[in-house]
Amino acid sequence: MTDSKKPGASQAGAEPMVRREFIKRSGVALATTAGAGIATAGAPRRAHAAGRTEITFASAKFFGKETIAQVVDAFNQSQGKIHVTYVELPPPSSSTEVHQSLVQQLARRNGNPDVFTQDIVWIAEFAAAGWALALDDVVDQAARKAYFPGIVEACTWDGKLTALPWFLDSGMLYYRTDLLGDAKPPETWEQLVETSQKLTKDGKARFGFLWQGKQAEVLVCDLVSFITSNNGKILAADGKTVEVAEPAVVEAVQLMHDTINKYKISPQDVLSWDEEPSRRPFTAGQAVFLRNWSYVWSIAQDKSESSVAGKVGVAPLPHFPGGKSAACLGGYQYGVNAATKNRDAAVEFVTWMSSPATQLRFATQLGLAPTRPAVFDEPSLLKAQPFMGTLKPVFVGATPRPVTPKYSQVTLVLQSEVSKALVSGDVKSAMASAKSKIEAIVKA
Amino acid sequence: MAEALAPRLAGGRERWRVGSWLTPLLLLIPACATMLGVSVYPILNGLWLSFRDTSLISQTDKFVGAANYVKLLADGQYWNAWIHTVVFTGASTLFETILGLGMALVLNEWFEARGAVRAAMLVPWAIPTVVTSQMFGWLFDGQNGLVNHILVGSGLISHNIGWYSSPDYALLTIIIADVWKTTPFMALLLLAGLQTIPRSLAEACYIDGASAWQYFWHVRLPLLMPTLLIAALLRALDAFRIFDLVYVLTGGGPADSTETLSTLTYKTLFSALQFGYGSALATAMFVTEALIALAFALFLIPRMRRTSA
Repeated sequence: MTDSKKPGASQAGAEPMVRREFIKRSGVALATTAGAGIATAGAPRRAHAAGRTEITFASAKFFGKETIAQVVDAFNQSQGKIHVTYVELPPPSSSTEVHQSLVQQLARRNGNPDVFTQDIVWIAEFAAAGWALALDDVVDQAARKAYFPGIVEACTWDGKLTALPWFLDSGMLYYRTDLLGDAKPPETWEQLVETSQKLTKDGKARFGFLWQGKQAEVLVCDLVSFITSNNGKILAADGKTVEVAEPAVVEAVQLMHDTINKYKISPQDVLSWDEEPSRRPFTAGQAVFLRNWSYVWSIAQDKSESSVAGKVGVAPLPHFPGGKSAACLGGYQYGVNAATKNRDAAVEFVTWMSSPATQLRFATQLGLAPTRPAVFDEPSLLKAQPFMGTLKPVFVGATPRPVTPKYSQVTLVLQSEVSKALVSGDVKSAMASAKSKIEAIVKA
Repeated sequence: MAEALAPRLAGGRERWRVGSWLTPLLLLIPACATMLGVSVYPILNGLWLSFRDTSLISQTDKFVGAANYVKLLADGQYWNAWIHTVVFTGASTLFETILGLGMALVLNEWFEARGAVRAAMLVPWAIPTVVTSQMFGWLFDGQNGLVNHILVGSGLISHNIGWYSSPDYALLTIIIADVWKTTPFMALLLLAGLQTIPRSLAEACYIDGASAWQYFWHVRLPLLMPTLLIAALLRALDAFRIFDLVYVLTGGGPADSTETLSTLTYKTLFSALQFGYGSALATAMFVTEALIALAFALFLIPRMRRTSA
């Protein structure tokens, strides 16, 4: 801008004029953007300053027939004391970015955002860092019984409830009703192997069982389903004792390896597949069984995308003899910033967000499964999302991934070592190596 | 006219002298400030972080001396990624240079529709890498991929190869994808180099009765060598930072067989949020790149001197 003020610049012909004009215009544009920025940040505060407490709510982006912003608006209109400003973060498919953004904001400890939503695996991390407010006096023991037990466990860190349940997702077993005929879906892994082998041998399907073995977060989700169904654990309840080298875990990982190499019910490709590559052969009619999340259901029933529409059923994942079906728990949950300056308003807002009525709204309008079993029995939910009704038994057995504030480091070790175990077949030494590496992390 | 201007010029020169160092300096400030801000500062900050145990998760941030580097030297993951990165860089640079040279030689000759072929050649390079990754994901799909279909159909292999699910093939497949994508870039640089070689040399060779091979080996290649080495250096430094193909196609797996320094650093910095150790990884990467550049320079500079002499 200095050179446009230089004397004589305007005499030098058309070009500087254009440039000056450009600078002037961009200056105006800048001022407008800056003004707009201030306006969006400040206007609601001024507009609603009349007695309303202002709080902010940051969440990853979810949408369906409604958006989160519309639900937040409904809260703002439902009462006259609190006004919530919604800050949209990237969608959960970019969860690394969502995580980063939340950590950066929370680490500043300036109370912004007052309320946020977090992936289930970050709860311990945020709680241990002291960023999440304990909500024990807000939700008493009796009120906690209204949620699925697995989700309450996942929202608890060091004996304190530091998150409030929002919605659930979990791994489940999709199967082909037309191929299984009158037979019930398998309850044990042994049955799954038998059925798969029989149907592929008869040429009814190309693959028996598809799952996700790509060296990524999804591998840990599949891992948890397998080992928990054999009563195995990654970390003991104290969060310090590493149990990944216990026989139950080794046996379960061995089964993952054997589905490919011994029983040959899964193609070797599962080792490079995450959710979508494993879903495609299933909805193309090439496989009997698939382990995946709830999103597959609507695709499987869509005739334009699926050649098996109307021929798909869903059931809890199988288990080992003496074990219980265990699905890996997923979903986002609410948290209140420990540094919030408006504790009461924030608590009132999350309580409303986690209430049965709002959960029902999220279920019918955004397709997010409730964390309260009672909401599943609402007739309006079954009408809007018939499939969700069948999920209730799956969610009852859903199990959290290891609960530790160092989860993001633990998962990288698990991804690497379990991938090695599955490729080499030397499960014992890979899990022993995982144990020593995880111990070094959680004890540090 | 000249007499009339002279005093004014003299006076102008006086004024110009005052501003002679000030104006350029002022004009340089924005560029220097930008460079300092976006390039020098982050590098120094990264270096500084690599001596601290900064982590957003454990919320530590104190000076730990060389502890991160000691840990790095003993870290199997790091050396595993280091070897993959070096293998990838060596293999992809070598193949891209050889194939690119072949393409450049062909495109340097006159033939029908040469312009169209030159333009078409650049298409792979113009496609965003993420799109290339998806494309190669489909081509080399273990079950329904075209490559397996052709290989099985032609009887070269008896059953499908899991290109991305086998640690023996995953890195190879990524190298193939990179060679496909970046060879045109090398061809373009080498074509520019070939065009600087005077036609008269070809005529002289023809008159002296040299064969095409002799012309290539004794005349063109030595003259092209500086361009070739600079192009290979650019390519090697770029290949060393390989990230997107790996991130989209394999995520570093299976069994860490495609983990490279960039993907490992990304995971450490942005998934585990260990800024201290992650910065040490990034610094080690920077040092290795500097060594590659140095090796090229030691090889290149004497040759360039010889050519210009």
